[in-house]
Amino acid sequence: MNFRDLLRVVWSNLNRMRGRAIMTALGVVIGTAAIVVLIALASGLQESATGDATAFGPVNQITLLPGAFFRAFGAPSGGDESVLTPDIIKEIGRREGVTAITPKEQVAAPTTIKLNRLVGSGTLTGIDPLVVRDMGLEVERGADILGNWTVIVGAKVGESFVDPRERSGTQVQRNGSEEPLDLLGQTLSVSITKLGDDGKPITRTVRLRVGGVLEETGSDDYAIYMALADAEDLTSWYSGQRPDRRNDGYSQAVVVVDDTQQLLPIQRELEDDGFFAFSAQSTLQQINILFAVIQAVFGGIGAIALLVAAIGIANTMIMSILERTREIGLMKAVGATNRDVMSIFIAEAGAIGFFGGIAGVLFGIGAAKVIDVIAQAYINAQLASSGSTSSDPISIAIIPIWLPIFAIVFSLIIGLASGIYPALRAVQLDPVNALKYE
Amino acid sequence: MAPDTLIRIQGIKRHFILGDSVVKALDGVDLDIEQGEMMCLMGPSGSGKSTLMNLLGGLDTPDEGTIVVGGRDISALDENELALYRRQMVGFVFQSFNLIPTMTALENVSFPLIFSGTAPAERKARGEELLDMVGLADRMDHKPTELSGGQQQRVAMARALANDPQILLGDEPTGNLDSKTGVEVMEMLRKLNEQGQTIVLVTHDPRVSQYTTRSIHMLDGRIIEEELAPL
Repeated sequence: MNFRDLLRVVWSNLNRMRGRAIMTALGVVIGTAAIVVLIALASGLQESATGDATAFGPVNQITLLPGAFFRAFGAPSGGDESVLTPDIIKEIGRREGVTAITPKEQVAAPTTIKLNRLVGSGTLTGIDPLVVRDMGLEVERGADILGNWTVIVGAKVGESFVDPRERSGTQVQRNGSEEPLDLLGQTLSVSITKLGDDGKPITRTVRLRVGGVLEETGSDDYAIYMALADAEDLTSWYSGQRPDRRNDGYSQAVVVVDDTQQLLPIQRELEDDGFFAFSAQSTLQQINILFAVIQAVFGGIGAIALLVAAIGIANTMIMSILERTREIGLMKAVGATNRDVMSIFIAEAGAIGFFGGIAGVLFGIGAAKVIDVIAQAYINAQLASSGSTSSDPISIAIIPIWLPIFAIVFSLIIGLASGIYPALRAVQLDPVNALKYE
Repeated sequence: MAPDTLIRIQGIKRHFILGDSVVKALDGVDLDIEQGEMMCLMGPSGSGKSTLMNLLGGLDTPDEGTIVVGGRDISALDENELALYRRQMVGFVFQSFNLIPTMTALENVSFPLIFSGTAPAERKARGEELLDMVGLADRMDHKPTELSGGQQQRVAMARALANDPQILLGDEPTGNLDSKTGVEVMEMLRKLNEQGQTIVLVTHDPRVSQYTTRSIHMLDGRIIEEELAPL
């Protein structure tokens, strides 16, 4: 019996029990549609969480914290080496695949940042002036040079400046324009106040010249980058002593790698050295693992529905075999082999799964689209009521290209598998008795 | 073996276990069937005639003994080989016709050819030819429910001939028919036999034996009498 004849026979048999076949296939339709919708939702979530990969920071950088940070969370001791002393930083900088490394120290003091009468905010962060370019700090305007109290500010630091005499929270509107404040070339005054030895407050004020403004990155838009020495100067003054970096190390360092493909191995090596390391890549990787699990769980829920459908198919096929007992006897009498009989019944069950799967995928895609439209309308309404507009349309349900194919193949396999037991029963029928069956 | 012997049955036993008792459906049967013969197996219910026919048709295998058909012992074949044997060597006609209700007469007749891998066009041609032969050329597209009992049995006979079998087996082929259509069917079988078709019938209708060249009478799983038709 060739494949075309098999399909012909199967088609005519399904046609004969059309009503029952459709009812049985409905179970598959629901199961497949559930799989499609649930995985589409999980994919949509994943996409909205990880779609803008740059929001997690530059893909070629690893942030290092000393092992002590690690141990604070109860992790096993990282050993003595896991301190970010200048020597160790130098050593890491010489490792293969490492382009550059810099300590990264935030000014450890309460500061007030002012521009004339405006008050703003920003994270004063000291880095090695030599690695500005290697760190990928792209200056939109101005120069990428640090040092001597010249700083580079993040794209949104300008927006943070407000006039304290106006209503709180109102953004500065100079000359009636909506343009955010352009800090390039301005001089910011940064004040630090501490209690002196006599118990009276003393204030130190330094002037920072803004030499450059960074492009918007999503990760360091509120940073004010300054030379490490300048930042250390402020911290020392506030604490009254110079931090002992040779022994205590820096609190943080940023490693830049040559090849983003090699980042994770380098990160692992640093972790093995006892550092606490994280990167946009490893964060993304972990989030993706999490979403893979969510997809599997959601898919599993749909698969349960499909499993129930499979039992339905098996049931329908067993019924059909009982009804067609004489016909099976006849098939055997006219020379059908066990393989022929087996193929016919497995193929019938497979066809129910296959057509159910196709309908389920179409139905599931439709349902996913409807959910998407409703959810977007809801999100837009929420955004509108909070006064902002969405920059990009957010997709709640995304259907990856593999999903419909996977769903149809899966339901076909489920159908074929649920046909095995009924087909075996058909094969085992004794032709003599089957032909006499009433 | 005589040159014309198509089937040689020797020492056949077939026992069925029913609860605690053993039913000796066949209890040592020897029989030769000649090429071109039209014979009938007669006897009361339980005499073993149907069991013998099932063994001849390769639907069942004996517990003991050999059945040599065309030089080949079919009692030792496995299920697959038996399926091929049925496909190539045997055509069945049943008391209750056993037509597939959703198929037309033509589809029913060409149905066995699906399993022998015959191309669709050839299947159709062969089906038409056979239906024409049994006088149903104008009923090809009718479903079994649209045909009379006699017509249905003629469709079944056409189907039995689809693979050009060596042996045509009939299990009470006239059992469900009134006497007039029964006669029609028997006439048709006789015509086939005259064309050289070997036919074995199972019946307990004495009128059937009037058409056959030889009658075998069975009782309790044994052959008790053999009578040749008057020439």
